[in-house]
Order: sequence, then structure tokens, then C-alpha cells
Amino acid sequence: MKNKLHIVVGIVALMAAQFVSAQEKDLRKVVFTGAARGLYYGDRMEQEVEDSITIPRMNSGHTLVDLGMNIRPNRNTEIQGMVRVRNDYGGFWGSGVSFDIRQLYIKGVAGGIVRYQLGDINYKLSPYTLSNTQQEIITQGPVIFQQQTRLMNYDNFYAADSSWRQQGAAAEFGLQFAKFVKELQFHTVATRVRTTDFGSINDRLFAGYNVNLVQSNFLEVGVNHVTLFDIEGTSRNLSTFHNPVTTGTLLLKKDFSDWKMKVNVEAGTSKTYYEKFEGSPETNGKIFDAKWIAANTSKGFSIDAGWKYVSSDFRSPGAQTKRVNYNYQPSSFGRITNDQVVRNLTAFDLMRESNAYNRQLSSNLMLTQPKYDNITPYGTATPNRQGLTVNAKYVNPSQLFEIAATQLMLQETRGEGTLLPRKFVRTEVKAVAHLSKRFGSKDKLFDVSVRFRNDNTSRDAEENVRAVDLSTQIFSVGMEYEFWENWDVMLGVQQIKFNGFDYTAVRNNFSEIYNFKEYQTDGNEFMKAAGLRYRFSDKSSLSVNLSNFKNTDAFDATQNYTIRQFMLLYQMNF
Amino acid sequence: MKKSIYFLLFASLLYTSCKVDDEFEGPSLVDLYGDFSVVTGLDISNRNVNFSTGETTTFTAAFSKNVDWTVEVKGLQSGAVKRFSGFSNVIDASNATWNGTTTDLPMFRVEDCAVQLSIIGVADTLHDTLAVVGSKVYEGFVVADFENGWNSGWNTYVQSGANMSFAVQTNGNAAQGGRYYEMAGAVSWDWLIGLVNMPGSAYGSTYYPLTSNPSNLYFNTMLYKPAGIDNGLVLFQIKEDDNQDGMYSTGSEDMYSIQVSLTANGWSKISQRYDNIPTLVNGAASGPIGNGLHEPNKIIEVSVLFLANPTSGYSKTWMDYMIFTEGSALEP
Repeated sequence: MKNKLHIVVGIVALMAAQFVSAQEKDLRKVVFTGAARGLYYGDRMEQEVEDSITIPRMNSGHTLVDLGMNIRPNRNTEIQGMVRVRNDYGGFWGSGVSFDIRQLYIKGVAGGIVRYQLGDINYKLSPYTLSNTQQEIITQGPVIFQQQTRLMNYDNFYAADSSWRQQGAAAEFGLQFAKFVKELQFHTVATRVRTTDFGSINDRLFAGYNVNLVQSNFLEVGVNHVTLFDIEGTSRNLSTFHNPVTTGTLLLKKDFSDWKMKVNVEAGTSKTYYEKFEGSPETNGKIFDAKWIAANTSKGFSIDAGWKYVSSDFRSPGAQTKRVNYNYQPSSFGRITNDQVVRNLTAFDLMRESNAYNRQLSSNLMLTQPKYDNITPYGTATPNRQGLTVNAKYVNPSQLFEIAATQLMLQETRGEGTLLPRKFVRTEVKAVAHLSKRFGSKDKLFDVSVRFRNDNTSRDAEENVRAVDLSTQIFSVGMEYEFWENWDVMLGVQQIKFNGFDYTAVRNNFSEIYNFKEYQTDGNEFMKAAGLRYRFSDKSSLSVNLSNFKNTDAFDATQNYTIRQFMLLYQMNF
Repeated sequence: MKKSIYFLLFASLLYTSCKVDDEFEGPSLVDLYGDFSVVTGLDISNRNVNFSTGETTTFTAAFSKNVDWTVEVKGLQSGAVKRFSGFSNVIDASNATWNGTTTDLPMFRVEDCAVQLSIIGVADTLHDTLAVVGSKVYEGFVVADFENGWNSGWNTYVQSGANMSFAVQTNGNAAQGGRYYEMAGAVSWDWLIGLVNMPGSAYGSTYYPLTSNPSNLYFNTMLYKPAGIDNGLVLFQIKEDDNQDGMYSTGSEDMYSIQVSLTANGWSKISQRYDNIPTLVNGAASGPIGNGLHEPNKIIEVSVLFLANPTSGYSKTWMDYMIFTEGSALEP
């Protein structure tokens, strides 16, 4: 028997084991979970151009409670339901009050083998198949700004692990082997992305699987396959959309004394096509991404360097869908000046307007905003990019400070409107100093963060075609200082400066480029804020912030304005 | 550490060896935003072209970028128009070769023509001239072009209404050649204003000299709608002698019909593949009257009926160049 290869059908999966062990720790059958929030904004706008129409002051806010009930009818089943009750300030007696089902799922372990989840699920696969890329700029600013960004991420179900919130079913299980192969893991997911209208819109599903073979501590190989597709017969529309993506992964791991080395490779293809849709295009794309990672555990230093190729026709809705919907018009001071022109979406709005965000996978490449990100607007899987990426990080052994740097040197795989490719360079440095380790009491909060990013897009001029030269600089400094027990003062400054020229692609419903627009920009978005926070506990706090946002646009005087914001925020998780 | 250095060198090598596709994505930026200039002006390869012998003529020009261009040839006598258009930076034999056909009827005659090259977004136009010394000749069985006047084998019935005119006209307005047939009048008691019967005997035999393959045969003619007259209906009846007894038996042998109500003013071309011509009863599609087979080699007579609602008053139309063609519809 010893020599016989035998399969142990294990309770694999660490997650399943964790699930069971978590239940063992907490044997209560019903647990209440959730969050509560009270948020108030008082805004005042000042414009450079004369405006006797726009009301300069605006007050808004809400209170809400997410009340969740976690029920464990038996050791292997968990049911979670969460209701959101929200009341906009001023909305008594039913006006402005809303009740929503925020979360509903059932999960468990079937037969001690298969872990499943039905209903709302958060899921991610590889960066090229299913991954929810963070929104531009505002996710890494000073804490005083991130307070609001985190609320939006919470409202839109954007998790830190880059998973997408979907509705459907997921299952996973694993097999453990005695010889040759250590473990074989299976993950599968199917979700409903769009519902039929019984007329011209078909039901659209997203489905996929991952099979990962752990051969040893040295070698892992895997396959990811996802597909976004319409179901024929769910409406009167006979044409159906299909977008399968398949990638293979390879992970090599080896330790050399204090150095942990890894080589991570992902390569694959995509195909986008319609059935029974005369004249529709079929596109085939491919990707290759190889990364070498080295980390010194004793010195706190790590570096990764990689080369990637994402063809211009690579389409992967699960990985390329953007969080920000740039078609959105701000709700606060949506129209300004005597001409009531639309106020452009800015980083200030992206910081606090939940409705500017998208929650569903998009079959098309969504609109981008080149002044914020012209290099990776669709995340890692941004099509038409190839080149080198380098990341380095150092964490001081005494935890006094940590510093990280990123360098991207990319170019297009296929020129847009000309054979000459655009070139992209990004340099970014971030640092956080935990000064309480050096100054004052060690259990007090005293953090200072600094961030600088410089993006540049360029292409030489050709006969009859202007040169491309678009630059964006982001600079921010933030501080949190606990001046009294659990009382913090917070400061933050962030500047986004952009200048230059590019041609932006205009795409049709098949995401094909059919036109280019001249994009000329020269502006500055400057935000500064100061605030006080009292932390009742790790899970609840009360903050008062004053901030000032100044928008400058050299080409459009109507967009030159200042917004002063007063914010009162109480938040609690339970 | 050595390995790390090797890897970085390898990665740098990859970066410097990044290859770019040899086709760009989207429209050309030069076309969209580049400066426009005429590299080579408008030229015509054959300025005295004889289409009757199969000659062609080619228009040429070249530009600094792709543009939406149109070359228009206009007959100075007939008013016929031939138009070529495209989006390119070169006009040459591949996109602007003229074989004598027409875009806007009437058809070209032996006449001088004006040529004009216009470009969207460019105010200036380029002009030239050429002469058609022989008009295009079409293959097929010509039922009626009226160039030799009235065929004595045809017969006609015309109601005794007001302002009646069923006659061949020679006034320079023909769709083809110099003559056409006018049908006009006002009949207040009947839909029928008048008709013309064209039996096979008018061409020297009982049956029309046509192929037996109905899917390879096309019926073509040209009709003219005067401006302001919208009530006319033209009904073409094609009668087959199914039992080949030398005569058409009403009610027991096939009669296929085309009913035309013109909407656009001026000359229009009517073309239909023979096996697609339906049986009509009072203008509505109906089951076959005879054996239900489209048998063009058994056509014994073609009748043209000019109709109008009796309450609608005066009506008028012109007819020219009725021809059966094989292989494809007439391309005038």
C-alpha cells in the first residue's frame, strides 16, 4: 500500500478547513454583523467666472445602517443576509429613506469535500482573467482623503483583494496525492452579469474555472478559463456575444538562505466574437507576463522585475472592466457658471461620489481619463502594452519606515493611427514613516506618508501628425498624529498636475477604434485637508474634516473653481 | 546575485527587442489631422471614348492623405450622371474606371460630358471634359426602345377620356436614345386609362425568343414619373402559353405581373428576375393561374396597362427601353 499511489480526498482546501475551524471557535448559531455610518457634507463653491445662477452652498449627507444576520444552522452551512436602511438628511417621513438587500448568500461544505457558495460572492482569479483593478489615483493618498474613498469602496463592494462582487455560484475542492503531485485544486464560478428584457437583450453570464496543480514547494502550474457569453433564446435577439479567455500559469519557488525567489509566468489568449450577427468582427488577442520576484526576509527588502506583452486585441472583461464610469456627471455642483456647463469629474468627486462607480463587468472597453492614467487605464490587463515593469520595496527592520518604488517602461504593441508606437514611462515612489517608533510613545499613532508619481506618454512627430507628449505628476503628503489618547489630528495635501497632448481613441460598440480626438490638457487639481478624529475603538470613530479643493484648467475657464468642504463622519463596524 | 543580474539583463534585452505590429489600429491620423494637398491633378485616360466597342476610360488623381472624394460625369445633352466615390488617397483604375453605365438616368448618349472632382472638406473642385463618341450597347432581347417608332405588330386600347396621349415622343427626354412612349389621360369611370399589347408575333415568331431558364432571365424597363403626378400605376402582364396551342387562354394559363407605383420623380429602372415575378389578382399576390411554372420560352405576349384611381384625375407616365437580359439585371 505504501508504494501504491493513492489519492486522499482531503478536506482540502485550506479555506474549507479554516471555515470549519472558524465555526468551532464560535459556536453561536446566529450572529449579528454590519456597519453604521453618519456622514454630513457642507460644501461651498467659489468660481473665477461670474455666476449668478449656481447656488454656492450645498449640504448633503445621510445616516445608514447595514444590519446583517449570520446564521449557522449546522456545522457545515452558513447563511448571511444583510439589509441596508438609509436615510438622507432631511428625509423624514419616508422621503429619502431606502431599504435595500445588501448581501445574501449561502455557503458551506458539502460532504466534507466541496466548498460552495450561492448568492453574492466575491471572486477573483488571475490578473488577466478576473481581477478588479483599483480606481485611479485616489486609493493611495493620505489617510484623511482615504477615509471617504474607503466608504465608497465599501458601498461598491470593492475588496482589498481585487475581487469582483457578483451574483451566482462558486465551488472549490482539492485532491491531495501521496506521490509525484502534492495537491490539485479546483475552483469554479458562474455568475449572472445581465438579465434579459425579453425583447432585444439576452441573459449574459460570466463563468470560469481554475485548476492549480501544486507539484511541490518548488513548482505550481495552473489553468484559468473564463468566458462572458449571452444565452441564446432568452430574448428575441438571435445574436449572442462570446468572449472566452484562457491562460496558463507557472510558479517556481526557491529559497536561497535569506532570499526567497519566485518566477511567476502567465500566458494566454482571448477571443471575442458574435454569433448570428452579420458584419460583427472577431478579434483574437494574446498575453504573456513573466515576473521574477526576490525577497530578503531578514533585511526587509524585496524586488520584482518582469516583462509583459498584452496585444491590442486582447479582451478580458473580467480583468479590464474599470471601476470608474467616466460618463458620470457629478451630483454636487453638477452644472456651473451662468451658462450652466457641466462640471467635469475630478479626483475630488472620485473621492466621495459612490455613484461614479461601476459594479458590473463590461463587455466593452470603458471610457478612460488620460490625465489620471494613460499607461494602465485597464489595470494589468490593459491592451496594447508591452515592456518592462520593476517594483522594489524596503521595510526598515525596526518598522520605522517603509519605502516602495515602481518603474514601468512600456510601449504599444500596435500603433494607434500610425505605425509609430506610443511610449509610456511611470516612476513612482511611496514612503511611510512610523515616527512613533522614534519619537514619543511607541503605542501612539504618528505616521507620515509621502507619494510621488510621474507618468509620461510620448510619441515623436511624423509628417502631418503632431507629437504626443502627455505628463501627469501626482504628489501627496499625509500625516496622522495622536496628540491625546485616541484623539488624532490628520493633515493631507495632494496635487495632480497634468499637461500635454495626445490623441485619444474613440471606439465603437465592438471596442474597435473608428476615430481619434485631439486631447490637449493643462491643469491642476489641488486638495488640502485638516481634521480631527476620535477613535472609540478599532472599529468605530468620529471625524471632523475641513478640506479645500482647487481645480485649474488653462483651456477652459469655466472649470476654474474652489470647493471648500466640511465633513462630519461617524463610522462603526460590528 | 549573479542570477539576478542575468535576469535583469535578459529583461532589458526583451524590452529593447519589443516588436510592433506592421499595421496600425484605427483610422490613419494623417487622414484625420494631416494637411491636404493635391499631389496629382485630375486626368482622364480616354477623352473620346466609344463605349459601343467596349472601350473604357479611367479618371486619375492623387492626394496627400485619404479623403472622401467624388468624380461626377454629366452628359451635357442628356443630363445623365455617372458618379464614382471613395475614401482613399489615390483615384485610379481600381476605383474610377467608366464603362459607359449610368448612376442617375437617363442613359448617356453620343454627347460631350463635363467631369468634376469634389472632395469633402475642400472648397475647390477640379474640372475637365470628355466626349462619348459611342454609347454603351446592352446584350439582351429588346422588347421596345421606340427608336424606330411604333411597331406595327403591337396593338393598343385607349379609353375615350380627357387629354388622352398614348404615343411615341421625340423631344430629347428619352431614357435611352431619342424616343420614348408616353401614356397619359384622365378617365373618370375606370381604373384603366389605356394599354399596349406586345405579342411575340410582332418579333417574327409566336413566342418571345428567350431562354427556358427563368432564374437566369431578368425583365427590365424604365419608367418616368413627372413631378406632381402621384396617382399613376403601371401594370406589366407577361402571358405564357402553357399548352403551346399558339394562343393565351385567360383563366387557365399563367400570367405573371409586375405592378409599379412610382414614388421618385424622373426616370427609374424596373428590374426583376423572371422566376420572382408573381401572379397578381387585383394587385395582390395570388396562386398560379396555369401550371405555375415560370417558362419564359412560352411567353406569348407582354401587355402594359396604365392605371389610375378614377377619382384621382389626370395621370401620366413615360416608358422606355424594355429589355430581357440574361445573367444579370440591366445596368444602364
